[in-house]
Amino acid sequence: MIPALAIKNYTLDYATAAGPVRVLHDISLQIGPGEVLGLVGESGSGKSSLAWALMRHLPDNAREIAGSLHLGDTDLQRLSPRELTRIRGRRLGMVFQDPSTSLNPTLTIGRQVTETLIQHRGLKQREADALAVDLLGHVELRDPAAIMRRYPHEISGGEKQRVIIATAFGCRPDIILFDEPTTALDVITGARILELFARLRQETGVAALYISHDLALVTRVADRVAVLKRGRLVEEAPAADIFRAPRHADTQALVQAVPRPERRLVHDKPGDEILLSASDIEVHYGRASLFGHAPPPATKSIGLDVRAGEILGLVGESGSGKSSVARALTGLASFSGKVKFDNQAITAARDMNAAYRRDVQIIFQHPDSSLNPRHKIGEILSRPLKLYGGNAAEIPRLLEQVRLPASYAGRWPHQLSGGEKQRVAIARAFAARPKLVICDEITAPLDVSVQAQIIELLLALRAATGTAFLFITHDLNLIRQIAHRIAVMRRGEMVDLLPAEDFDAEHVHPYTRELMAASPVPVG
Amino acid sequence: MIELFVRLIRRPQGLVGVTLLALIAIACLFGPALAPYAPEKIDFLGRFRPPGWQNWLGADQFGRDILSRLMVGARSTVPMALIATFVGSAAGAIIGVGSAYLGGRTDEAIMRTNDAVMAIPGLLLALLLVSTLGNGAGNAVIAIAVAFAPGMARVTRSVALNVRNQDYVKAAIARGEGAVWIIFREMLPNVMAPIVIESTIRVSFAVMLFATLSFLGVGAQPPASEWGLMVADARQYMYQAPWGLIMPSTAIALTAIAFNLVGDGLRDALNPKDER
Repeated sequence: MIPALAIKNYTLDYATAAGPVRVLHDISLQIGPGEVLGLVGESGSGKSSLAWALMRHLPDNAREIAGSLHLGDTDLQRLSPRELTRIRGRRLGMVFQDPSTSLNPTLTIGRQVTETLIQHRGLKQREADALAVDLLGHVELRDPAAIMRRYPHEISGGEKQRVIIATAFGCRPDIILFDEPTTALDVITGARILELFARLRQETGVAALYISHDLALVTRVADRVAVLKRGRLVEEAPAADIFRAPRHADTQALVQAVPRPERRLVHDKPGDEILLSASDIEVHYGRASLFGHAPPPATKSIGLDVRAGEILGLVGESGSGKSSVARALTGLASFSGKVKFDNQAITAARDMNAAYRRDVQIIFQHPDSSLNPRHKIGEILSRPLKLYGGNAAEIPRLLEQVRLPASYAGRWPHQLSGGEKQRVAIARAFAARPKLVICDEITAPLDVSVQAQIIELLLALRAATGTAFLFITHDLNLIRQIAHRIAVMRRGEMVDLLPAEDFDAEHVHPYTRELMAASPVPVG
Repeated sequence: MIELFVRLIRRPQGLVGVTLLALIAIACLFGPALAPYAPEKIDFLGRFRPPGWQNWLGADQFGRDILSRLMVGARSTVPMALIATFVGSAAGAIIGVGSAYLGGRTDEAIMRTNDAVMAIPGLLLALLLVSTLGNGAGNAVIAIAVAFAPGMARVTRSVALNVRNQDYVKAAIARGEGAVWIIFREMLPNVMAPIVIESTIRVSFAVMLFATLSFLGVGAQPPASEWGLMVADARQYMYQAPWGLIMPSTAIALTAIAFNLVGDGLRDALNPKDER
């Protein structure tokens, strides 16, 4: 039997000014007809390079050193550009990570779907229209005929990803490559997309290569899982086994890093003293124009309090207003309501004095944009020291605190990896010796293993300094490991505020239950 | 500094730009000493003499050597244009970044005022200022700087609005940094690239604006060998002696290209992400 996709001894280099860099070492993989292979690895492990190599869309400096890529009995490396256009989409489909950038914003959904069908299946416009409505209905989009007439910005991210999946399946390819298709979506939407994928797969029997950094997720969708580490294949096993009995040390580390709510990392109790209490917080964006009303507030009278040394979790899907709360508490967004911190009442950003600014620090989601690219690490860390008292001699100590070498003070932010940058951002927050640190989705852009290291670091810093955390995340499993209490937000309202132990209990809000169902606990 | 220069000349564009600028700089510094003739030496037998061994770039309607006039004229053209562009760009950049940082109604007020100033054509504004302040090179510099500032402010603000939304600016606000620090140290370095490129293009406009002012009689006065004035003078003899027009125009164009190439090179060399 010919496998649907066969990669044999494939080796790939990127030519750079500093010499060739090997990104894939001697990779051999096979995907049988109707089989789903999960490909797991950290960022930089070469998994996306493999996908691009299969799509024959490598950058100019890529050098294929050895090996072969076969789709059925077609040798992908020998195809001419003309033959390639017949293969792409028709026999080899692809679903990308970010649905918002994979649809053309100036064409209607219908046009983009039917164009693909006309191109690859040789249909007439009328037949393509009918088939497109059929396909869109099949991916559980409500009122597909209306969706066809809309533009990409008029539908949600989850709907866009459904449109792309419908298009990919509609061409009846032999194999579909999925490159992290749910990473850009929030938990519940992502879980729905996975259900859809499982159903379509059962119906059509298509083979797939499913690329992700999330081992727990891949084991749910794939038949077999291959683990990639720095361009080398370290382990390949049936999905059911890889979690229970990982053989290779790197796989074990990946499994270990997956957050599990039953494995608590924090065992102490917070103090009784209330550090910060916020009540009736409504965050306002934009202002009333001459002829219009101001948009409604992003949050509806949120009230929460943080005790000294407590870790308070704040979860919810994107757009639920959880980041708005963080912005209000740091004076970055205008709000109404009352904040009480250390017996000092605050009703607007201008009431936040230097003492409050020092005691309440924020760490942002994207380490790339939270460090000024034109400042060296040393300068970035020296600012809070200058503002809040302290001297530059402390910089090596700050770096050491976040387990970075002191020599990093002379580096530029772009010379650091994502995890290292996030450590610098943490060091900057702790330079002020704060009483409360607000972490706004700080682990979301990081790999699972890096995430585990960052969490461990935050807990170590907390043990050393007694700082309280307001930890904002969409990862319920992660927050259940570390938080004392967890608040759940949805569409600007707080629906639940429970101690972490009570999440398994009966009396949780239906939405909280839905959120828990969407982030299942890994088996094993 | 040396490292920056090495990075600049490592690319062919940078190297060409730097070489051209070096030639212009030599002309500015040593032009009168190197010129084969005196710039105002009239030779009636050599009127409209085409380029040849006597006059390398030809002669004008009075038989004056064009090469000599160009070399001497560099001094009264290039530095003035540079200063005017620099002052205008700096003022515009600070207004643009400041406006983007302050935001809301203040931003609105600053930018509408800016638009009102932009509605007046640059030349008209410059003329207005020169006629108010009085003739002279110094006043022309001020006039051109003022005429350039609003455009630079617009360009800068559009980039600065993006930078304003970056987390590092939010982090600076959240830790209570002052406005001056945020504008000058956090935001300005990150909007430098478009400013540098826009100003290098504007150097050539400045050269032309000076020429126009000279032509209208409020800038350099004949018989000065300012390049723009030379173009204006040679205009009426375009069919008899095209070199009189072409040579100074080429000098202006080469200056503009040199600044553009160096500007592009600087953008790459200043970018800390560039490690080649």
